[in-house]
Amino acid sequence: MLKLALKNIRFYKGRSITTFVLTFVAGYFFIVYVAFMDGAHGSMLHNALHVYTGALRIYQKAYRQEGGNDHLINDTATIYRILKTTKGVRTYGARIETYGIASSRKHSAAMMLCGVDFSKEAQLSSLKKAWRAGVYATNGSCLYMGEGLAKRLYVNVGDTIRFSGSAVNDVRVTQHFQVCGIFKTGMYDFDAQSAFMNRRYFDTVFHAKNISTYVVANTVPIGRTKQVAAAVAKKLPQDLEVYTWQTLMKPMVEIMKMDSFFGYISIALFFLVIFFVIMIYGFINVSARIKEFGVLKSIGVSNGTINRLLVYEIVILTAGALLLAALLGGGTAYYFQLHPFVIPGMSDTYKQYGVVSDTLPMLFNPWTIAWNSALLFVLNLLSVVYPMLYVRSFTPVEAMRHV
Amino acid sequence: MYKTMLKIAYQSMLERRGRTILLVLMIGLSMGTMVALEGLYDGMTQRMIDKAMRSDSGAISLYAPNYRLKQTIAYRINDADTICQTLRNLPEVDDARYRIRTDGLIQTAKKSRSAILLGINLHDENRFGNFKAFVQSGHLVLGKNDALIGSELAKKLKVAVGSHVTFATQDRHNNLQSISLHITAVVRTSNMVFDARALYVARNTAVALLDTDAHSATQIAISSHHADVQKLKEKIARIYPRLSVHTFTELYPQLKQMQALMSAFNGITFFIVMIVVFIGILGVMYVNILDRIREFGILLSIGYSYRYIRLQTMLESLILGFFGYMLGVLVGWILLGYLHRYGLNLNMFGDAAEFFGMDTVVYAAIKGSYFVYTWMAIMFASVLSIWLPLRNIKKLNPIEVVRSIA
Repeated sequence: MLKLALKNIRFYKGRSITTFVLTFVAGYFFIVYVAFMDGAHGSMLHNALHVYTGALRIYQKAYRQEGGNDHLINDTATIYRILKTTKGVRTYGARIETYGIASSRKHSAAMMLCGVDFSKEAQLSSLKKAWRAGVYATNGSCLYMGEGLAKRLYVNVGDTIRFSGSAVNDVRVTQHFQVCGIFKTGMYDFDAQSAFMNRRYFDTVFHAKNISTYVVANTVPIGRTKQVAAAVAKKLPQDLEVYTWQTLMKPMVEIMKMDSFFGYISIALFFLVIFFVIMIYGFINVSARIKEFGVLKSIGVSNGTINRLLVYEIVILTAGALLLAALLGGGTAYYFQLHPFVIPGMSDTYKQYGVVSDTLPMLFNPWTIAWNSALLFVLNLLSVVYPMLYVRSFTPVEAMRHV
Repeated sequence: MYKTMLKIAYQSMLERRGRTILLVLMIGLSMGTMVALEGLYDGMTQRMIDKAMRSDSGAISLYAPNYRLKQTIAYRINDADTICQTLRNLPEVDDARYRIRTDGLIQTAKKSRSAILLGINLHDENRFGNFKAFVQSGHLVLGKNDALIGSELAKKLKVAVGSHVTFATQDRHNNLQSISLHITAVVRTSNMVFDARALYVARNTAVALLDTDAHSATQIAISSHHADVQKLKEKIARIYPRLSVHTFTELYPQLKQMQALMSAFNGITFFIVMIVVFIGILGVMYVNILDRIREFGILLSIGYSYRYIRLQTMLESLILGFFGYMLGVLVGWILLGYLHRYGLNLNMFGDAAEFFGMDTVVYAAIKGSYFVYTWMAIMFASVLSIWLPLRNIKKLNPIEVVRSIA
């Protein structure tokens, strides 16, 4: 039957070529499309989380629900010890945030002032990479300010602003700070309201020694964040909770899933048409060979064996086409993973949606290529079901007499 | 003659029922699904654009010069009410309203955030953009110290109807002012910026806080269904040369770009699907004609003109395409009708939808053009598909055909 299948494939060139080409095109397109979608989504998410969010954060349990200075972390040192001994944690640091009004000579604006360890932040976030002017690692009463905020306040490096906020003990604090550095991450809202200060000085002004709003950590690899978070959670005191970036950036994660959902719907339409075309060509081919099947049946070949013949034909064609599609599609995905697409201005246009980079890489994932190919393989197998049933419906005599 | 041709066409399709049904199903299902998807995507972007227009800019917005760059109360339009009245009298303008806006800090007992204060007139807002439809909870009441809050901002600050917040900002003399406000409603406009940061107060409250006069505004928005918004913009710019006039497209380029990308994507999908449909029709017609090559040979030998054979095959192809199209119209109409009325529920992506200013239920748009373009494409594919098989018939030698039968 295998030899006969190969013979039939060579003899009925029209059907074979059409099935092969359509399967190849569908397979290649599917692999490249999914690689692009997954790569673009992953890149957008990772770029956004590396800006400031971090892979995981540890909060006091009620902080994210209620907020306020009552739910700050009072013992950062203990958390540091836990993170130091947890496998998969690459870097970590504590941040303390407060909100207030910043005023320059010309204007006032809301500001989030954050006390950080600048040496750790260089590895935890992209604050250092986002440097635009002045000094990154500020000391004393110096601020490292977002460009959007600096523009709102009409200030530049060297200018002074007055900040009015509250300390961790809810005491009102009004202090003058100098703008010593300016950054631009590309995250519009973040740049328009954030400023950073050396942790030591922050602790002095805002009475925040050993107190943090949260502790942030990065994991290696980023894909194992959930497992690392589970390991950290086991060791943490009861009043603390760990959140992964998937929770912290839930809206962005979901929008990517939604985009994928609509992407798959669109591609399903394409597959629907291809499925029908392959089935039609298979059916036409089979109906042209009814006499041949009649002869086979009359010499004792069972329906099952004829079905096997049809399955061999479609499997050979599909396997060949999908192998080629997987090789070429995988190669394309790998190439564009290393040399991503660049759409100049994209991050500027879509900044409010959290897009911070103009690059869109593909994602080369052998597992994804495998399931893409497997799905198309199954679809092609299904396309031969109706022709099989059609052949079965003829008796040997009817088949031999078929015009 | 044509009646005979039609009979022959039907007979040919009936004799080859299996492939006819498969082809009609293929055309019908693919066309119906494609039309439904197009309607869904169009509906989604249309609603985002509509809500952005209703909640913010309208079709055209006017600002004081430099306001968009500086974004401070110092750059405001002083006679906004008079300008609005004049604009409403223009035949191309449906309505106009003005707002006063300032940035500041919103605080509760435990949380603080950067926020935008918008001084509005509820009556004007309801008339302009049906503002009451944005209410998620509470009542649309704006007393002296009442406020409406954006849904995402309410979530972040953990406030609800009945909560109290404080808003601090700088007035026009650069003095810091603050006001205590009582939340009367949570609103969801699906405008990302406003849902995440906006606090709406009565215009008089904002005017008092900022120490400006009641006639001033930072933005005047115009709603219009005029076909040529660009022309209307130019007309308004000539009437008010001292003001900065912008269309919705200029203020929300990303939404327009999204719409353009969606159109391009729909176009490409349509093209690819039609190519594959063409391959399907070609295959079936090719085999149909090859099956009957002797029949055509005999017809040619008895004097039947090639012209009529061409017409015959074209008719068969067009009838197949037509049946497929009609099935597509039925499937598309059912799907579009359902999606237009009940929508596609995206609650599983609820957080994303709320955060990025989309509806959790997406409704499809219905346009006649969906069915017109698919009709043209299917008919074109049907006619083109017989070109190759007709070449075989043209090469036929009637004598050889008759001999082969003998």
